[in-house]
Amino acid sequence: MIDPRKVDYGFILRRYDIESESQMRPETVAARMLPQDPLLGEVASSVMFMRLRDVGPAVSRALQMGVKPLDIINKGLVAGMDAVGYLYKEHVYYLPEVMMAAKTMESGISLAEKHIPGGRVTKGMVVMHAAEGDPHDIGKNIAAVMLRSAGYEVVDLGKDVPVDEVVRIVLDRKPLMVTGTALMTTTMPAFPAAAEKLHAAGLDIPYMAAGGAVNREYAESFDGGIYSRKAPQTPPIADMVLKGKGWREIREEWDDITGGI
Amino acid sequence: MPRFARMAYQKADDMVFGSSRKPLSYGLGIKVGTGRVIPEAKYAPRPGVTQSPDRLKREFVDYMSKDIIHRAVNLGFPDLQLETEWISHMGADQRTSGDIVSMQKELIEGCHAEYGINLAVRQTIPDLRECELGLRPGRDSIRSHPEQLFESAETACSQGADVLSVETLGGKEICDYAVTQGDIVGFLFGMGCLGSIDAEYVWDEFVGICRRNRTVPGGDTACSGANTVMFMSGGYLDNDVQKTFSALCRCISAARSLVPFECGATGPGKDCAYEGIIVKAITGLPISQEGKNAGCAHFDLMGNVMAQCCDLWSDESVEYHPDFGGSSVACWAGSLGYECSLMNTATASGNGKVLRDLYMLSDRVRSPESYILSYDNAWAVGKAIVDNRKDHYLRARAAAIAGANIILEGYRSGELGLSRRQLEKLYRMIRDLESLPDDSDAFMESCLRRYSTEVSKFDPANYGL
Repeated sequence: MIDPRKVDYGFILRRYDIESESQMRPETVAARMLPQDPLLGEVASSVMFMRLRDVGPAVSRALQMGVKPLDIINKGLVAGMDAVGYLYKEHVYYLPEVMMAAKTMESGISLAEKHIPGGRVTKGMVVMHAAEGDPHDIGKNIAAVMLRSAGYEVVDLGKDVPVDEVVRIVLDRKPLMVTGTALMTTTMPAFPAAAEKLHAAGLDIPYMAAGGAVNREYAESFDGGIYSRKAPQTPPIADMVLKGKGWREIREEWDDITGGI
Repeated sequence: MPRFARMAYQKADDMVFGSSRKPLSYGLGIKVGTGRVIPEAKYAPRPGVTQSPDRLKREFVDYMSKDIIHRAVNLGFPDLQLETEWISHMGADQRTSGDIVSMQKELIEGCHAEYGINLAVRQTIPDLRECELGLRPGRDSIRSHPEQLFESAETACSQGADVLSVETLGGKEICDYAVTQGDIVGFLFGMGCLGSIDAEYVWDEFVGICRRNRTVPGGDTACSGANTVMFMSGGYLDNDVQKTFSALCRCISAARSLVPFECGATGPGKDCAYEGIIVKAITGLPISQEGKNAGCAHFDLMGNVMAQCCDLWSDESVEYHPDFGGSSVACWAGSLGYECSLMNTATASGNGKVLRDLYMLSDRVRSPESYILSYDNAWAVGKAIVDNRKDHYLRARAAAIAGANIILEGYRSGELGLSRRQLEKLYRMIRDLESLPDDSDAFMESCLRRYSTEVSKFDPANYGL
């Protein structure tokens, strides 16, 4: 074997992952982004630092001290999750941190919303599925967690979902948006097929196409189609739909909405 | 089931591309592992073609297979293996699938007779089983996917497959969860234990089907788990999965991918999960691998290193479409064949090990994954598997710990760079793995309890547990 010590690796490659590793510390971000109020700060901090065991007591303390449950959710739990999203964007947090923080936040929300008469109103509904013939649904599952964290109700149809079943449920539930994921190019034609049937039935809603096989050009090749490259892009796109933007506008503003990543 | 008890290669340096301890002959003159590396071309039909059986057959046989063979002849390649990875629709349409298999067989017989080129076709059938519905025959009353899996194997073999392969997805529900949580113990349980149990269940049956039909039982790769991790780990700009985590997943997957060979599969092993080098070190069986010439399908940091000890060199999956140089499948097959020519020239001129080392060294420190798959390190992981062969759990855990220590030593010696977070994750995984019990029953019991709660779709009965 040629002796690896004789090889000048610096001549061969650059480890951009090491060279450009963010030196940002979550504590610095916490000081800047989390609420100053000590009760809400504690709630937000439990989410940001993924302290699942602490979130319940923190929410209970805030409730006992008279903080409104909706404020606990929006100014505490969601604020903590916003900081997590920022850290993910800055490559400080990875997916496991995001998932754990989301789980912590959901735990806090379920406790706080019990104190809201009639329960918490979600922002809106999103129907999600993996394409007919496609057994890969990890990306959809991650995006579902992120949408729920952002306050959306998710109707998860699972994987390998027949086109007609997607159409039937969407027509029945009338969500804000539909999402479909496909890992294989052979399964992604399910998206234009379903979108066409929805449009023929008079439902002009955005149909997000995503997954390893799908690119932006394909997603935008059929009426209704919009693209999401990564799961964290899904909530900001849903926010735009919620604001009343149609699929054509979202396509135009896609780079601004998603940060162009 | 007998487990591999010693290394086929007594030292890592004995391994080189094109040569394996247990070479194979099959198809129309194909000899794998006897010195020459063979291109293995894979292809996928265009979106939309799947809706018509006739169009699908034409795409697979008249367009893709024929284009590739003609390109190989045009460029003077002595050998070519085709691999048809069945698309999901084919699992449900045995008639069309059987037609494609027999038409491909007829095509290669004609081309072999006309040009003399050595040819074979590997048929890789789809595993569409869903854990929510049931993984074993009799459990999925809605879609009958488990029955379909075995029916597909029968169809492929009886209609003329030279080699049968599959990518079984046992344990995927736990592996998917583990990846999103960065949970190496979950991956060990999902892939190392459940994946192994499922692979054994499937391959016990497949080996019998192959023998009855004189088809070569090619083996399996941990695509659904380990490839998913690699896909998510991505490159330097991606931050979903830590690359140290992905590296250990490859070690664990190797322990699982041994199972089909312990059931009687003979290779050539498949490429997708990049664990083949470890499997080859243990079994001595020929392997198909992929890297830079599969950039059309996979993106990773191991483009060159994976060629170091391959017996077949694959392009993984090329979607059919026109390119300036011809059809896409022909163009990519050409690049495969030229790479094989380079390897075979090195062998013929006595420079095989030099080129092997150049492939390996050019990627060795590109990432923790490429470091652990460098053949000397991969061999050491294989040795840990063999030395801890008592059961699925112990050998998969040993593989992960060995891999972690090799990466850590590489870092401490200054050879391998790690980012701060990659290193932190490595330390956490070492701590988690070393704190696991030595008693397999205790481990299984604890995981069954934990993951039955945390992963709602996990059903131990799918694994006979």
